[in-house]
Amino acid sequence: MPICELRGVSRTYGSGPAKVHAVREIDLVIEAGEFTVFVGPSGSGKTTLLNMVGCLDQPSEGEVLIEGRPTAGLSDRALAHLRAERIGFIFQAFNLIPVLTAVENVELAVQLGGGGDGRARARQALAEVGLTGLEGRRPNQLSGGQQQRVAIARALVRKPALVIADEPTANLDSANGAQVLELMRELNEKHGTTFIFSTHDAMVMEHARRTVFLHDGRIARDEVRAAPAPRAGEGR
Amino acid sequence: MSFLLRLALRNLVRNARRTVLSTSAIVVGVFYLVLGQAMVGGVEEGIVRSAEDGLTGHVLIRAADYPDEGLSHPVDVLLDLPEPARAVLQERARASVPRTLFVATLVAGADSLRLRGIGFDPVEDVKVFPRETWKVDGKVPATAEDGVLLGAGAAAMLGIGPGTRVVLQTRTHAGALNALEVPVSGIVSTGNIAIDQVSAYVPHALVAGLIADPRPSHFGVRLAHRDEAPAVAAALAPALGDGFEVVTWEEETRELLRMQKIRRRALDAFVGVLLLMSSFGIANTILMAAHERVREIGTLRAMGLSRRGVLALFLMEGGLMGVVSGLLGAGLGGAGAWWFSVHPLDLSEMGAKGMGGNIQFSTWLYARFDPAMLVAPVLISVAVALLASAWPARSASRMAPAEAVRAA
Repeated sequence: MPICELRGVSRTYGSGPAKVHAVREIDLVIEAGEFTVFVGPSGSGKTTLLNMVGCLDQPSEGEVLIEGRPTAGLSDRALAHLRAERIGFIFQAFNLIPVLTAVENVELAVQLGGGGDGRARARQALAEVGLTGLEGRRPNQLSGGQQQRVAIARALVRKPALVIADEPTANLDSANGAQVLELMRELNEKHGTTFIFSTHDAMVMEHARRTVFLHDGRIARDEVRAAPAPRAGEGR
Repeated sequence: MSFLLRLALRNLVRNARRTVLSTSAIVVGVFYLVLGQAMVGGVEEGIVRSAEDGLTGHVLIRAADYPDEGLSHPVDVLLDLPEPARAVLQERARASVPRTLFVATLVAGADSLRLRGIGFDPVEDVKVFPRETWKVDGKVPATAEDGVLLGAGAAAMLGIGPGTRVVLQTRTHAGALNALEVPVSGIVSTGNIAIDQVSAYVPHALVAGLIADPRPSHFGVRLAHRDEAPAVAAALAPALGDGFEVVTWEEETRELLRMQKIRRRALDAFVGVLLLMSSFGIANTILMAAHERVREIGTLRAMGLSRRGVLALFLMEGGLMGVVSGLLGAGLGGAGAWWFSVHPLDLSEMGAKGMGGNIQFSTWLYARFDPAMLVAPVLISVAVALLASAWPARSASRMAPAEAVRAA
């Protein structure tokens, strides 16, 4: 069963002459374990598409199915539950809660999903992204790369089926960006978690197994790479 | 929920100065509410106690149409209690004592002062009119030979003390002038302005000689509890028949207590305005917090927090402001109320400036402190804070997560 399926999805904003078609008639199937990237110029619909896949937004037309289940008509509470249980988010600006420490930021994801043993799971998730010893630091005491690692730990701590990453390397230098991407690919391979990115970054595209090119809200091209790109440090 | 509570607490501390400023009005409002109610309650209790322990008792029997304005105590009508009334008192009163109130001029050397003479039984009077608050310089007269006990204010005006010989002039029951030279046995501060400023206690034996009649003008009655006064007064009235008047402590203090109610309402209105102002402050704080934290709200929503959860988070922040400021205000107000319940304010100066006459008012202002009085102000504080937070919290909960999560 696909992790995510979009059937004839369109999203418009505004009405009348001011009506904007952000996404038009998208049909897309994302299988479990994919490492997919949405690519396109600004305004091509990448973020809108990610919002709908992540159940942060609803299509104006068509339907989005998560693990075969239609999301249309779900209540706010049910959508929130679905996001907490099955979807993790990684944002360009990291979006950590500044008043919480690294471990509390990760623990928050466990708590919102109603899980127990949150502190231990958060520590384990931070260890997995290489942040052992930094659990007690607040976001402003961490580098950009470290903050994004916390965000990755937060997205993955509940072992979601799908992780959505919106321009995850855009605020990082190339070295940190490469490390973060490498980490996500490792986690993808280790846990089979499905990753969907949006990016302008060529380095991200190189890591992707599937690249969906968007233009004017439509899928212009959908490429699947036969083998994953070589990992950083392996040489090309 | 506990994690959200922790988050709400951290968010409040995040901008501590703004939080403190927003909640300070609630702290002040609750402080005034607690302390003000305690002081007003203390004044009310003081008024009632002054009447009970001073000139009225729980129930007072006097002649019909007895004047109750100014310093006027005629002795042309004196009392003989009918037997049915004695039976009622025997059955229902804890104690009853005769008193004779009369107007006299007290002459000390070249000075003289018009005052109220309180003819009393040196032994029995204390059963109806307790003397716990009395401070006596000299002694309370035990017999006619001991002389008179003079109110401290009157003594100060005449510049006399214990041992001074004074002349007490008054009219007899028949209206003739009469006078006696007596010693001042002591100077008393009862805490009741109506007594301390313009009264002198005179043993009954002396009064009987002065007014040429042994009968009293009043009977003071003490009951097991002040609440029984209306019922006992109702029972006494038919037993006494025409020519008598029965008044209760409640009737004697009604006017003063009515003024206190007005004072209480003024206090409530003042506190209401303060709390209203503070509600705007809290609403503003929560609204600003919501606008500053749009991206955080979006992130929380993306992580699975429902609209209701966001609403709860912001309501918790508002509610915590209410709880903390309410507890602080109630704590400070309670501490003040407790302090003044133990260390009263001395209002004797105010009394010296003309609150004498028939107005029975304590010169010691005690606060009425009861820990239970702290509960309602804290609840009011929390309710105000929650109400003030409701609209901004709702506004935060309705943010579209897709837009909020990418807000600058």
